[in-house]
Amino acid sequence: MPDRRTADTALPTGTDVDVVDLLLTQHARIEEQFLLVIGASGQARQRAFDDLVRLLAVHETAEEEVVHPLSRTIADGADGIVDDRLQEERQAKEMLTALIDADVDSDGFETSLLLLRNAVLTHARHEERYEFPQLRAKVPADRLRGLADVVRAAEAAAPTRPHPGAESATANLVAGPVLAAADRARDLVREAARRIES
Amino acid sequence: MFNPLDHKGIPLDQQIRNWRELNVEPIDPEAVDPYTRCRIITMNGIEAEAIMFSHQFARVCPDADVKRHLAYTRFVESQQQRVVNWLLPGLASVLETTLGYEQVAVDLTAWVARHEPDPYLRQAYEFGVLEDFDHLYRYANLYEMVERRKAEKIVDGVTEVMPGRPTVAEFRHPFDNVNDPYDKDAVDPRSKLHALTILSAEQQVMLYYMNTGPQYMEPIARQLYQEISLIEQEHVTHYESLVDPGETWWERLVTHEYNECWLYWSFMEQESDPRIKAVWELHLQMELAQLQHAADLLRVHDGREPEQIVGDTGLPEPLKFEPNKEYLRHLLATQIDLTKLGAGYVREAHERFEQMQERIHGGEKPPSEVVIDAHREVFGDEYRLETEGPHPVESLRATEGPRHA
Repeated sequence: MPDRRTADTALPTGTDVDVVDLLLTQHARIEEQFLLVIGASGQARQRAFDDLVRLLAVHETAEEEVVHPLSRTIADGADGIVDDRLQEERQAKEMLTALIDADVDSDGFETSLLLLRNAVLTHARHEERYEFPQLRAKVPADRLRGLADVVRAAEAAAPTRPHPGAESATANLVAGPVLAAADRARDLVREAARRIES
Repeated sequence: MFNPLDHKGIPLDQQIRNWRELNVEPIDPEAVDPYTRCRIITMNGIEAEAIMFSHQFARVCPDADVKRHLAYTRFVESQQQRVVNWLLPGLASVLETTLGYEQVAVDLTAWVARHEPDPYLRQAYEFGVLEDFDHLYRYANLYEMVERRKAEKIVDGVTEVMPGRPTVAEFRHPFDNVNDPYDKDAVDPRSKLHALTILSAEQQVMLYYMNTGPQYMEPIARQLYQEISLIEQEHVTHYESLVDPGETWWERLVTHEYNECWLYWSFMEQESDPRIKAVWELHLQMELAQLQHAADLLRVHDGREPEQIVGDTGLPEPLKFEPNKEYLRHLLATQIDLTKLGAGYVREAHERFEQMQERIHGGEKPPSEVVIDAHREVFGDEYRLETEGPHPVESLRATEGPRHA
């Protein structure tokens, strides 16, 4: 395996690619990026971890702004499932925020990172098993394809730090300097969503 | 060598476990030794066969005392199966477990082929392993299509992923899947253990695919599971027909228990995860007592000693999960174009083979070909993990060059 810093899971291309394809790819990249952080040390680990933070922020923004609100509209009982996912996302963000301030080579870092990985991957599997299949079954395919553009917009905006307390699309946002990038991503995602929907 | 017939193990009446003991912590799918997963999958197949064998035995057994004993041991074996299979994590998807199943089929069968003393039996394993090797490649492509992950996450580079005998060519007339059996009185006892181990593994693969396949929504996934599950059924026929049908039920019970001892002992010797090693050790101690009881039944009902069935020299060398890359490449280079005619192996596409091919494919590409085409369409190439260089068969080399090497 060649040395690399950033997850390189292949991005699906073509006209059939929908929002679920992109979210699955992000899940795969996040899984890979965790391994890269664990396998590195010093500066390399810091850089790999920064990339992980960016991947997670982009991904969760896309899910909070686009996917979970859509899930709420499609099935009885979907609210409960979405609430569970949001709770998981909130916990993961708190763990991540604590990690951002830690020394990547300290003993506690690796232990906390493994806990975070478990939380994030469990969350991702829950979505893949209980949420994504409902989207594919109940949302028209062209709408799911259109929403892929929204996720691409979130990737382009790429915030660098997550902030807990903002996991609801209707949350009252207070933008501090650290949160500015995430908020910019959220604005871009909303704009793209409006454009696609209209 | 360790001789299980010399040991008493944990008394049978102490073998039933409570919920706390059954509630085992699963392996961490992100950090597991791939061969630990393979050992779990193997022992699950072995215990599943133990349960089903015991049910079949009970159905033809007129002796109420024996039936009660079988029911007791079967319950214990069911708990063993639940413990072993529940070591697999809920975090893993069906397809990830499937890749584990195929890795087992490849490296377990390759090891058995390398250690099989009888040339005819060895040929059966060499023939079969190239087909499971191909399934791994097909499922790996499906995995990247459906879950966007790479199979190297599961197989971890110890097993290569590339075409074997193409699945499309694996459909033979059912008559041609029936082999000649070994002679129970003349064959090396190792051969009995090999045949039972591989048929148990393949049987579990068949059951898993035929039951989990329809859980997928993606049409290509549903179709691929349907296709490969039918090949696995061919494989059960292929391997079970190697076993001497003249073995008595008592004799077969002894062979089953002895085989379980061999495998738990082998895996205990090899296990890298101390927590899992403790499970293998506990189960070995349980199997020893089950073997003793089976031996007693053999003495009473068949008037024979267990050594007449499994030999008196103790267990053969431990079965090992280890890379078989070079051996598999040799088989690919020399046996890829084999098929079956009756109980033998031939290279020509004979009439009965051609008829079956026409009938089942109906002039269309099967799902195992469609999945590769679809992967190329989405990703621009196919998924392979060729760690030791290009494919040994020139016509099966990737046309796009190695993305994943």
